[in-house]
Amino acid sequence: MTFEAVDICKAFDGFEVLRNVSISMPLDGLVGLIGPNGAGKSTLFSVISGFMPPSSGHVTFDGMSMDGMSASARARQGMVRTFQVPKEFSHLTVRENLMAAAPGQAGESLSGLFLRPGLIRQQEKALKARADEVIAFLRLDRVADSSAGLLSGGQKKLLELGRALMVEPRLILLDEPFAGVNPVLIAEIMERIRELNGRGIGFFIIEHDLEALTRLVSHLYVMDQGAILAEGEPAAVLAEKAVRDAYLGGEA
Amino acid sequence: MYFAQLAVNGLVQGLVISLAAMSITLVFGIVRFPNAATGDVMTVGAFSGLVVYPMTGSLLASGIFAVIVTAAVALISHLLVFRRLAGRSVVALLVASIGVGFVLRSIMGLVFGHQPMVFSMPLSRPYRIGGLAINPLDLQLALLAAVMLALAFAVLHLTPIGRQMRAVADNPSLARVSGIRSGRVLAALWVLAGAIAGAGGVMLGVKTVVNPEMGWDMLMPAFAAAIFGGIGSPAGALLAGLILGVVQEMSTPFVGFTYKIALSFAIMLVVLLRRPTGLLGRIEGVR
Repeated sequence: MTFEAVDICKAFDGFEVLRNVSISMPLDGLVGLIGPNGAGKSTLFSVISGFMPPSSGHVTFDGMSMDGMSASARARQGMVRTFQVPKEFSHLTVRENLMAAAPGQAGESLSGLFLRPGLIRQQEKALKARADEVIAFLRLDRVADSSAGLLSGGQKKLLELGRALMVEPRLILLDEPFAGVNPVLIAEIMERIRELNGRGIGFFIIEHDLEALTRLVSHLYVMDQGAILAEGEPAAVLAEKAVRDAYLGGEA
Repeated sequence: MYFAQLAVNGLVQGLVISLAAMSITLVFGIVRFPNAATGDVMTVGAFSGLVVYPMTGSLLASGIFAVIVTAAVALISHLLVFRRLAGRSVVALLVASIGVGFVLRSIMGLVFGHQPMVFSMPLSRPYRIGGLAINPLDLQLALLAAVMLALAFAVLHLTPIGRQMRAVADNPSLARVSGIRSGRVLAALWVLAGAIAGAGGVMLGVKTVVNPEMGWDMLMPAFAAAIFGGIGSPAGALLAGLILGVVQEMSTPFVGFTYKIALSFAIMLVVLLRRPTGLLGRIEGVR
């Protein structure tokens, strides 16, 4: 029941963005990833979640190799990511956004509408029920029928999390869930993350808000210049001199 | 009362423009090019209806047959041409669609000749409603258009494939990573766009004459309405088509038959200068 990334390397035009990065975490863990801008954190997320292929290295999920799998195939296996800048279908409602995040099977063609209307109605009903569940869990009830483009930055972050939840994930990669979110909503999002983790869903989180992150995670990775600089229990890691030099610029 | 009568006539004309514009706007919203074959698909619809009408005497049956044929024609054009040009420039796709239009027009010309043909409809007494004369045939045509439009909006807003179409139109990259299969969405889109154009073609054929050039001549007003309504917005296309139709009819007493089209274009220009995104459009280009 572990997630592992082994010796991930990624180069763009000969420029090494990731150098032999290895991550190992239990699937129900709460793990953080920090590092200065340009350390390669988001690139690591993209490689792990299948949005870009690694130059070399392997990803295994609960003992299964994910090498070569597309992002949506990885999502179907239970690993999804969110984005630093929230993405949404801005002209679809919040509920429709959630329903679009978990494409059904039979409803995906026009012929299905005519040939198997009963099956499709059933699937839509289940999908809508699932979306309503997620909406209630994230307390997005009031905006469920608004266009997603009209949401505030923090609400979009919640929708981003909601979209991940629609595919019934086992591990969620969160890319800066607290960036640009007001403190009240940060506390709210943290609460939701804890609750989901209590249900056995793992989180691997990139975040610059160290204070919030260290309260949340039990294990911390630090990246610098495309490589893992340190890892371990958050307080201990942050006390390391190398980490302070790289991340905090020697101050504090 | 005279103007009310013109407005009623304009609404029926407008529905034809609406249907054509909607077909264009749906394709533009998802495949991102102005499909110049839309008019000729309408022509195919008109001829298909014309073939079936004498056999059945039923406008409905002709309409249904035409819609099936044009849906198939649009799907085939997607499979043979447009799908293979996916990712090419807008101009490449536009020119290809002009080519598809030429092919369709030539086939119609070869099969049916260039003599104008008409739906020989039985004459019927118009309904009188408070001084307005409403032709039962117009009513049937409007009904046909309304059913087609309702069907299109229902597919778009009430079904999973429609939701996925709107998702792809809204944010293609997010749709892809969400696991939405674009192949199926595109096939469904072309079937829908073809069906809508076909219904418009039958209407146009019944209202005027059927010849291989009829749809091509319809293309400019249809493009205009699609842009006027806000490109990519089906509701906008519907509204803009109706407005253009009504304006054209109501301006006839002032500017005469010859200039009514020019006037409707002038009004469209003024609106677009004030509101570049069209009636119900969104900002295009910044994405």
